[in-house]
Amino acid sequence: MLYRIKIKMSAFLSIFLIVHVISGVVGIFLFGGVVLNALKQKPSFKILKWFSLLGFLALMVSWTISGGYYYVTYYGKAIKPIIQASATPWVHSVIMETKEHIFLFLPFLAFLSMLIIWLNKESLIEKPRLKNMAAIISFLIVFIGIAVSLAGILISGTASR
Amino acid sequence: MDWYTFLIIIHLIGTVLGVGGATFAEIFYLKAKKDGVIEPLEIDYLRTIYFILRIGLFILVITGFGFLLFYRLNGYGEGLLNPKLWAKLGIVVILVLNAFLIQVKKIPMWLGASVSLTSWYGAMILGSWRTLDASFASIIIVYIIAVFIMAGILKLIKRYLKIPQ
Repeated sequence: MLYRIKIKMSAFLSIFLIVHVISGVVGIFLFGGVVLNALKQKPSFKILKWFSLLGFLALMVSWTISGGYYYVTYYGKAIKPIIQASATPWVHSVIMETKEHIFLFLPFLAFLSMLIIWLNKESLIEKPRLKNMAAIISFLIVFIGIAVSLAGILISGTASR
Repeated sequence: MDWYTFLIIIHLIGTVLGVGGATFAEIFYLKAKKDGVIEPLEIDYLRTIYFILRIGLFILVITGFGFLLFYRLNGYGEGLLNPKLWAKLGIVVILVLNAFLIQVKKIPMWLGASVSLTSWYGAMILGSWRTLDASFASIIIVYIIAVFIMAGILKLIKRYLKIPQ
């Protein structure tokens, strides 16, 4: 059974939440593409280059412009007190606290992966160690990205209960 | 057309591409392996199917998050804690990790193929079975059993078609 949430959110903040989620998911997918491509026997440098750049930009949008603004202006005031007063306050004290800290890694890891790819250009294909490093960092981005996405769903669900 | 209907249509397109792609990937793979050699043209077909499958997965995940946002912004956020939704999310995460493991050849092909097929069909069944009232654990247990049943079915098909292991 579904219940209507009591928290009012402005249209502006709703758009920020949508941008935060969608750009985050797109960023994770693009770095997933970097991993799958980098692990190929003959990777396409063009794909690695554009996927890493667009993935980095998507995560930056999700991280600073939308997520940061949403967190500072809305989460602390409207969502956090509801979760803390709920039957599962650990959703804030454990899940959200973890999310907001490991989330900080994403743009830096994305920047690092992009830097490895862009600085080495086509020669990256002939450098298996560097190529694998870019793949491992990108996989870490995907892994952390999936974890924070699931955490976000849990937090949103708990705040609506 | 409202947003919800739009999301349903696009989500269904993603499901069709994904489930169809996973099914045909397995059929073409078995056909390609039948003579013991995978020809360049067969590799090309398989690459195309995997590309479509990934497009399907992308559409499915994006529209899936679209649904979650729709529920959240329209005051039905309680649905985000539904165990059926979490089982579906778990299966999609397994599907993504399976794709990475197949790429790095760290999973036996029989298991990778079975996980892929079962996950796609499992996610589709969970999405369509509106009245299903089951716990997260029971859905995942059934899913794990289904993976091994699927592996057995694929093995029987290979044996029946005399496809080399």
